[in-house]
Amino acid sequence: MSNGFEPKILYILCSWCGTGGAETASAHGLRYPENVRIYRVNCTGSLPAVHVLRALVEGADGVAVSGCHPGDCHFETGNYHARRRVANLKTILNTLDLGDDRLWFRFVAHGEGRRFVDTATEFSDHIAELGPNPLTARRDT
Amino acid sequence: MNGATVAAPEGVQQAITELLKRGLDEKVFGAVLVPARVPAGDSFAWLLVRDSAVLDEAQPLPPVMSVQGARAIYRFARRGVTGKVAAVLRPCEVRATVELAKLKQVEIDGLVLISMDCPGAVPLKAYVDDPQQGDADFEKLLNGDQTPARDICKVCHLFSRPASDLHFATLGSDNGQASIVAGSDQGRAVLKKLGIAEESSLDAWERAVAERQEQRQQARAEAQATLRQKIAGPDKLLETLSQCINCHVCRSVCPICYCRQCYFESQAVLMPPENILARARRKGGMRLPTDTLLFHVGRMSHMSLSCVSCGACEDACPSSIPVAQLFSLVGDATQKQFDYVAGRSVTEPLPTITYKEDELPDLVAPYVETYSGREAAS
Repeated sequence: MSNGFEPKILYILCSWCGTGGAETASAHGLRYPENVRIYRVNCTGSLPAVHVLRALVEGADGVAVSGCHPGDCHFETGNYHARRRVANLKTILNTLDLGDDRLWFRFVAHGEGRRFVDTATEFSDHIAELGPNPLTARRDT
Repeated sequence: MNGATVAAPEGVQQAITELLKRGLDEKVFGAVLVPARVPAGDSFAWLLVRDSAVLDEAQPLPPVMSVQGARAIYRFARRGVTGKVAAVLRPCEVRATVELAKLKQVEIDGLVLISMDCPGAVPLKAYVDDPQQGDADFEKLLNGDQTPARDICKVCHLFSRPASDLHFATLGSDNGQASIVAGSDQGRAVLKKLGIAEESSLDAWERAVAERQEQRQQARAEAQATLRQKIAGPDKLLETLSQCINCHVCRSVCPICYCRQCYFESQAVLMPPENILARARRKGGMRLPTDTLLFHVGRMSHMSLSCVSCGACEDACPSSIPVAQLFSLVGDATQKQFDYVAGRSVTEPLPTITYKEDELPDLVAPYVETYSGREAAS
């Protein structure tokens, strides 16, 4: 990175579509930045909001969440609930000015290896531009 | 809209007590849940009354909110009640009860919720320290002077017309009179059984409520803008929360935080020492107990959609952190995004259990089909 800052990124993927996107990417030999760590959950709808907050408070510079496209959810409606949950988190972070743009949500389907890699890269670049997350350095969280 | 006018020469408290007494005597209610002054005289507690003679001790509208009414209801109506139980609640307590009903923690069917135009409450600590001054302060609130009220009450715009069965309307009416407004079929049935006719006009009350509501809404917006200036951003927020002693009392008095096992008191937040040592190494040092910020922000993510801005958390906080103002600021924002008002109606679904297929268009990060990366571009 040009400013010497390599962000720590947590990329939360659902077991069915998001992770599938990563598999497709690897099958095609596509690469994504090494500072993006993937965290797999059964369904983004089952992702506890506190896990996202803990990451943002205790170490991650950014958190991205990807699940199935609308209508594609393995559990039918999990992705809609995840969208609401992420919206809620972003509103909380925005109201308290804790950096809601460090949290991204984007649908990625099983076959969309390119889209997965692009999202990881784009998000990593976006966070690199924002700089380190001020919360991660605070001793009094 | 019509209501029933009742005489209240000694204030609305007396009018409510009269109704409760008649209800108990005529077996319309099997029991009545109502606040009463504690024997020591310096606070108030909930009393489940079955004998109308005991109602002489009742104070349906106490100067303080010692225990949030919804918490009192939750303690005994979790699985429903037998017979009708009338509960006299402030509007914020009604809203919290409605939220708990939707969260399936209170069986609301056997309850007759009775509310009144709330003049606000005085801070619990101030009242317990000096009950006489507290009573004098509450008298001021009843006369429309808001200065001694709790900060959260000063900017409360939902002080009237909650989703209760019966509501005692006092605003805009002459002293010595109150109107009973039936808010549901159950409320109308109670009035009918008691032979109270709804025939007087409520126009004056409705005008007075609308006027005060507008003032309060404006005051609320201003107060929230000022608060946001004071607490927004990592530095200012951590400064605000720095006095937190991790007692979690804000959670244990919160009517919405019903969980028997709170996540923040579970094994899930007890990290092995290596984890905390590693965090301390990364930051150079680590405040213990850990996760103060995570507790507050995490609790917001759990309950802010149902927050009714009742102020119980702030009353209880031993470190005088403006918790209620913080949570109602966030709660207003999170509820607004789903066009939801906590406790507005029993039939409105909770935002967490419903969704629309086509919503939140700005949330999903737009995908650039040909993203080539910052490094490739330069």
